[in-house]
Amino acid sequence: MMELPSTITARDGVAMDTNARGRFGDLVFGMLARLAGWFILLVMVGIVIVLVRGGWQAFSAFGPGFITSTAWNPISNHFGAATSIFGTLVTTLIALVFAVPLAFGVAFWLVEMASPALARFIETAVQLLAAVPSIIFGMWGFFIVVPFMAHYIEPVVTHYLGHVPGIGQLFRGAPYGTGLLSGGLILAIMITPFICSVMTDVFVSIPAVLKESAFGLGATRWEVMRQVVLPWSRQAVMGGIMLGTGRALGETMAVTFVIGNSNRMGWSLFAPGNTIASLIALEFPESSAGSLKLSALLALGAILMIISFITLACSRIFLQRGTSS
Amino acid sequence: MNKIIMDDPMGRDTVLPALAIRNLNFWYGGNHALKDISLDFPVHQVTGMIGPSGCGKSTLLRVLNRMYDLYPGQRATGEVLFDGRNILSPGLDVNVLRSRIGMVFQKPTPFPMSIYDNIAFGVRLHERLSRADMDQRVEGVLRRVALWNEVKDRLNASAAALSGGQQQRLCIARTIATRPEVILLDEPTSALDPISTARIEELLDELKQEFSIAIVTHNLQQAARCADRVAFCYMGELVEVDTADKMFTAPHAKRTQDYITGRFG
Repeated sequence: MMELPSTITARDGVAMDTNARGRFGDLVFGMLARLAGWFILLVMVGIVIVLVRGGWQAFSAFGPGFITSTAWNPISNHFGAATSIFGTLVTTLIALVFAVPLAFGVAFWLVEMASPALARFIETAVQLLAAVPSIIFGMWGFFIVVPFMAHYIEPVVTHYLGHVPGIGQLFRGAPYGTGLLSGGLILAIMITPFICSVMTDVFVSIPAVLKESAFGLGATRWEVMRQVVLPWSRQAVMGGIMLGTGRALGETMAVTFVIGNSNRMGWSLFAPGNTIASLIALEFPESSAGSLKLSALLALGAILMIISFITLACSRIFLQRGTSS
Repeated sequence: MNKIIMDDPMGRDTVLPALAIRNLNFWYGGNHALKDISLDFPVHQVTGMIGPSGCGKSTLLRVLNRMYDLYPGQRATGEVLFDGRNILSPGLDVNVLRSRIGMVFQKPTPFPMSIYDNIAFGVRLHERLSRADMDQRVEGVLRRVALWNEVKDRLNASAAALSGGQQQRLCIARTIATRPEVILLDEPTSALDPISTARIEELLDELKQEFSIAIVTHNLQQAARCADRVAFCYMGELVEVDTADKMFTAPHAKRTQDYITGRFG
């Protein structure tokens, strides 16, 4: 080896020491981070195993019929998932029908029309709405929305739309206030902030010069939004909607308060129903360990998880494509 | 077409301007960006605007089609006369104005749609054409910008697939498709390679037979090549305006001379 002057070796030695200490810190931090990452995966896998194993008794007792059966009879031990799957999908659909236009309207107004100071204020309000615990929405829904629906909205809607052929049967029946429509409306209010903030983000991220090009041809704000901004951000907007869908599918407490909790499946949106999450929340405390009922509830949980997985996967795909293009 | 007759600010010839700016002042919030500008844009001529970054030349263009309207806190005073009207007056329909005074930007900005729809977009905003008439309009403007032969077989393909130079010619085609009287170009070749740049410059020469053109450029050679008249801006003021020949051979003001000889900027 070449001989080096002593001063340089000494300085190198000091440098090596600090470096080594830094490397040790790196090693510890790296291990902790890796551990955290694997831990999340472990939890995920654990949940899936528990749900599938717990639900196995129900799956094997009823077979594929578990998904298509509308029965829920703890006395005769007959259980099926169809009613609660139906309720979950219908309330989510209702929520989207109301939340998507509302969120779009708010985002459009915030980005294109509101003064900056007001926009900042409203944006904060939207984020706060996202932070309200669902139990609060549930109580508010039960005491305010349900009576309001029963006394004002449902009778009026029945009067005007109840006799329209085709869609009329959606709006008939006794105005209980509690039911699929009320559940969907509460969900709509809860998911609007999520969809709205994704939309606001993508609308803001559009290159100003692209919008100016359209304005430069004499387009109005609405024409620019519909023909330039929306096509440009279509993917990301879809991702935001899927994100809201995922939340609506699994929401439990608020829905349980207003949906009426009845194992019925029919055309009327005013009729009480249930969702997978609300059914589990209500029936779980009354199921004894090892019973077929408990197994059916766990099987329901597995089904809900699969539905949510699919929606979330779709939202990820849409969001990724939206940002890469 | 244009009834206004004005004295040239330099006090020589009498011209018929397509656009006439009189005592224009412009503010970004509290920042006084344009100071007392008076300038004419003669019909069927290319007026070039040069000056160092931040001198206000792009701002001036954005006043001419009221683009600044989109942003709160930006305001203009003075007069910009176009077809006998002051375009700064509040009652004016900016959407119609912008169809008559078109704009092309620094970077090509194709819309996220097909080549055909990129051109039809602006036309549909203001006119209802039959399919055949629209086809004709699209072909016509694509021929004018010498893009027709390159894209005629893929009009329904996305405009994003075109090269930068092709995209910029598409943007020019899109702008002239609404049949404006004036075209504003904001450094239209700064993102393009030399060959694409040369093609755009040739195109300007042809287009000025039909349109009046205002072009902002950082490239002094480009101004010398393309412009009939050149205006030099510095720190929000209009220092000098003259024919391109005189501007680049015998400028009056010391600051102009310093700028075009590369002493600053």
